[in-house]
Amino acid sequence: MKIIACLKPVPDPASRFFLNEDKTWIKDRDLTFVTSEADTHGIEAALQLRDAVDSAGGEVVALSIGGHRSARVLRGGLALGANRAIHLADERFEGGDEYTNARLIARAVEKDGGCDVLIAGVQSDDLCSGMTGVMAAELLGWPHASVIVGVERIPSGLRVRRELEGGWTETLDVPTPCVLTIQFGLNQPRYASLKGIMAAKNKELKVWDLEALELAATAVGSEGALCRVSDVFVPEREGKVQILSGSPAEAAAQLVEKLKMEAKVV
Amino acid sequence: MILIVAEHVEGRLKPINRELAAMGRGLARELSCPLGMAFLGKETANAIAECQALMPDRIFVVDDDKLAEYSSEGYVAALAQLAASVHPVFVVAPHTSGGYDFIPRLAARLGKPAVAGCIAYQKQGGRIVLTRQIFNAKLHMRVSLRGDPPYFATMAPGAFPVRDGSPDGAERERMGEEPAVEATVDSFAVDLSAVPIRVRVVQREAAAKGEVDLGSAGVIVAGGRGLKEKSNLHLIEELAESLDGAVGASRPVVDMEWLPRERQIGSSGQTVSPKLYIAVGISGAVQHLVGMQSARCIVAINKDPDAPIFKVAHYGIVDDLFKVVPEITKTIQALKRQARI
Ligand SMILES: Cc1cc2nc3c(=O)[nH]c(=O)nc-3n(C[C@H](O)[C@H](O)[C@H](O)COP(=O)(O)OP(=O)(O)OC[C@H]3O[C@@H](n4cnc5c(N)ncnc54)[C@H](O)[C@@H]3O)c2cc1C
Ligand SMILES: Nc1ncnc2c1ncn2[C@@H]1O[C@H](COP(=O)(O)O)[C@@H](O)[C@H]1O
Repeated sequence: MKIIACLKPVPDPASRFFLNEDKTWIKDRDLTFVTSEADTHGIEAALQLRDAVDSAGGEVVALSIGGHRSARVLRGGLALGANRAIHLADERFEGGDEYTNARLIARAVEKDGGCDVLIAGVQSDDLCSGMTGVMAAELLGWPHASVIVGVERIPSGLRVRRELEGGWTETLDVPTPCVLTIQFGLNQPRYASLKGIMAAKNKELKVWDLEALELAATAVGSEGALCRVSDVFVPEREGKVQILSGSPAEAAAQLVEKLKMEAKVV
Repeated sequence: MILIVAEHVEGRLKPINRELAAMGRGLARELSCPLGMAFLGKETANAIAECQALMPDRIFVVDDDKLAEYSSEGYVAALAQLAASVHPVFVVAPHTSGGYDFIPRLAARLGKPAVAGCIAYQKQGGRIVLTRQIFNAKLHMRVSLRGDPPYFATMAPGAFPVRDGSPDGAERERMGEEPAVEATVDSFAVDLSAVPIRVRVVQREAAAKGEVDLGSAGVIVAGGRGLKEKSNLHLIEELAESLDGAVGASRPVVDMEWLPRERQIGSSGQTVSPKLYIAVGISGAVQHLVGMQSARCIVAINKDPDAPIFKVAHYGIVDDLFKVVPEITKTIQALKRQARI
């Protein structure tokens, strides 16, 4: 079974963010980038699926769109146990939206000879859209299942558990090839071992640009994007909250006083 | 036309459709066009009455064997045919396991813009600009759409709240609009004969009923990833105990198996409305907020002053939870001792 797992580099969500000059994104030059959380579960699911089925012929390919930060998360994926990696890197890919990124992913999957399962995250930590994987499925013409919290192999393809609202789930049978979008918490992602990190250095990491993907410049990046960022802003707090200041003991005392006298809830 | 896609289970409309209709109505007013509502599935008197209650101008019932059960492939094919016929400017569905499953696929099929999790809209130079949350609600982003309609969007739950009663009717009156008349109901025939439904539903199940019922707790102290380690859970357990309350959690705490799933609060967990909710080390992602924002009094303890949890909180302490929480517990305990004397 061949599985392609998407890895998106995102600014560490624990960072404090500041807007860039023209207020169209954050200042991210000096931030630490990590693999988007859902994708850490995605690659773990890919590795488990490969190793459960036929470790002899199975293959996990890590895929990422972006600059040097993508190269880093891909090396991380290789260290975890991916067999090889594909890095989609080209300045003309920049400024794209979920649609152009889905197109790049779908095209790369085709160029790599297809796969049985394409794995994406339920949503990325920066854009939080949850659209890229589903769009890639449509562009490939494959079925998809989203918000996946369980995966197992069956003769006709995959049996997956999809999360609905309020604790409901459904079990679906999906034929392969297919696309899955992986929900947080599907598994407990492994850590890279020293051996894995060493082995990663000798693994194949292909870099494909626009020409390699044989796409038109107008179909990718900011030129191809259907959605344009007008601006990014810090939402207002609406003034309702009372921030209690002082030392921890002072703040605690104020809080308890307010809860008792003002809110009357203790 | 603005076309909203009704979300329903077993022929009953979900409550989220009221918010969807509120957003759809607003967009329709902004663009001076009618509001249409698509109902995909078996037509029943009950379903139509529930659609009518939301006061769209038109209702399209799309009934086909292949739509008897939800599937993204069925929905995408049917809605593509409906859109080709009624030419909506926007097609909007809730940002739920339904909406985010078919809207991106539909938009990609037609090569049209799609915006996920919208919380607001605005008219700028004759065109609609949509606002959405990024970085788990820490920041907002306004998005403009290229090319001709249709445009696609999912609506973030909770972003277009409706009051009880007949909100849309009341709003219409306030806006000086005509009192609502019944919408025309059209059956829209689709041809899905060539559409494969490749994903098969085997079964659907509710979460196993746990021991704890957070729904009836008067006080909930909920912990998030800010607690750092399972061994720190005692901090919220002690605070909860001092308040005779229950312990709740954000999703990562449950995913990391520090607490059982039945303690999870949010869209994929429990919805609660206690009189007091204390969020400790929880950032306030939209999926968490929808599960607790109706609590009467919300306290947030977070070291990040920009954490979105402060937007719904009544009281906030911006500081290290490891220093603050023990102090609160101590103060409450002292208060209780005093009361006893
Ligand atoms: C389909 C779907 C369904 C979901 N359902 C749910 C759901 O039901 N419930 C839910 O909760 N989430 C749900 N999520 C996940 C949600 O998007 C967020 O990822 C999650 O709520 C974040 O949890 P958190 O706030 O604990 O963690 P984080 O977002 O990581 O926040 C941790 C917070 O702790 C603060 N902090 C760190 N250290 C300290 C310290 N020492 N002192 C004080 N503060 C500190 C940080 O400033 C930060 O704000 C869902 C996501 C998806 C895609
Ligand atoms: N630049 C990228 N590189 C690799 N994968 C990506 C990229 N952008 C999006 N994805 C995949 O699409 C998922 C959903 O992203 P989004 O639609 O932005 O929420 C991510 O979790 C990734 O799996």
